[in-house]
Amino acid sequence: MADLADRTPSRLLSKEMGLTEQAVERRRRIVGLEARDLERIASIRGLITPRVDEYTSAFFNYLASLDEGRAALANRSVAERARQLKREHLVAMVQGDYGTEYVAQRLELAVLYSKAGLDLRVFLAAFHHLLETIGLTVMKHFEHAPLDGFGAFMSLEKLAFFDIGIIVDVMVFERERVIRQQQDSIRELSTPVLQIRERLLLLPIIGIIDTHRARLITESLLKAIRANRAKVVVMDITGVATIDSKVANHLIQTVTAAKLMGATVIVTGLSAEVAQSLVVLGIDLAKLNTVGDLQGGIEEAEQLLGYQVTRVGDHLGRSPSTEW
Amino acid sequence: MSVPILKQGDTLIASIQAALSDRDLIELRDELAARVGRVRSRGVIIDVTALDVLDSFATRTIRGIAYTAKLRGAETVVVGIQPDVAFAMVQLGLGLEGIATALDLEEGLLLLRARKAERAIRR
Repeated sequence: MADLADRTPSRLLSKEMGLTEQAVERRRRIVGLEARDLERIASIRGLITPRVDEYTSAFFNYLASLDEGRAALANRSVAERARQLKREHLVAMVQGDYGTEYVAQRLELAVLYSKAGLDLRVFLAAFHHLLETIGLTVMKHFEHAPLDGFGAFMSLEKLAFFDIGIIVDVMVFERERVIRQQQDSIRELSTPVLQIRERLLLLPIIGIIDTHRARLITESLLKAIRANRAKVVVMDITGVATIDSKVANHLIQTVTAAKLMGATVIVTGLSAEVAQSLVVLGIDLAKLNTVGDLQGGIEEAEQLLGYQVTRVGDHLGRSPSTEW
Repeated sequence: MSVPILKQGDTLIASIQAALSDRDLIELRDELAARVGRVRSRGVIIDVTALDVLDSFATRTIRGIAYTAKLRGAETVVVGIQPDVAFAMVQLGLGLEGIATALDLEEGLLLLRARKAERAIRR
């Protein structure tokens, strides 16, 4: 049973985000939620619980008053589910138990918001409005002891900030998920190793190089060197937008590994910006054999292999269209 | 197990057939160092095609062989490093700086022949 419960989406997410028992405890510490706060929250439990429907409405009415909020909750089933979860949230807020179970509830609601595309600013505004509404109830009740009322409300607000912290994290995490997926697809773009002449390979690299991809590139290059009996490899990095010390290190590793297999690597296509940033970073590329552009690299490689390319005749080749 | 060392013209070829213990490696080093002088070799080829791992000791010993042979007048070429081995060596920061490498035995022999021709021209 416990196994099954572990597999609910919000549980999975909390695992992905590393929200363990300790992490949740740490979060409580960060907002300063203490035993005294729990007592104060308990003291207003009787006040809040009967009014949760009123507060839920306050939150959603505020959302509905804003175009952005209306758009996000246009889907009826989503809106109803959000309403239900918010109601549960308000009840749970005054129950005094703010462990992983409570966090899992927050995650579920946060995922719902982020899937619905609820703007963070709008959410924060509505949440503030909700707190204001609750604050009014509390202050009215403590009319003759405003300090106690303020204290109780402030304890509740600590919890509210605890919640906001989680919701914001989830929304950012979900947004970054898209970026992570895109990175994965970039990484999966295969890096072809092409033979352009006997014993000469071309390795065009496009996109972002990270540790994982550098490894794939190196592996496929080394296998190709063996399979094609290559002696020279031209590695073109025109398509690599930025190079930092890590990427440079990867390149050097690839070159060194190829060297161990008896192949020479010529690196081409370092743009002016890349070259300058490497100089500024103080990265020593003395180990690399670099040539300005791909053409130059291929010419150099041909020379190394003893090829001599000459144009026959003085015309610029035959044009097929006139030869018909 | 000891490594057979073959003589082909003025080149010595040590073809490693199976994983070697540290002691075997040292034996190989001593044997090669002695033979280079005895048969007046100008080149040494160490074929590691059969090895699927080259650890730091093996790398260091191979470097040792190459420098010793150099001092005795022969150039060393390490041939047949497998893709996986090359990658692992780079990851571990093991290198063969200053030592020639070639894809396989054939390439190694060609490389030594080319170097010999260079020396002849320079003379």
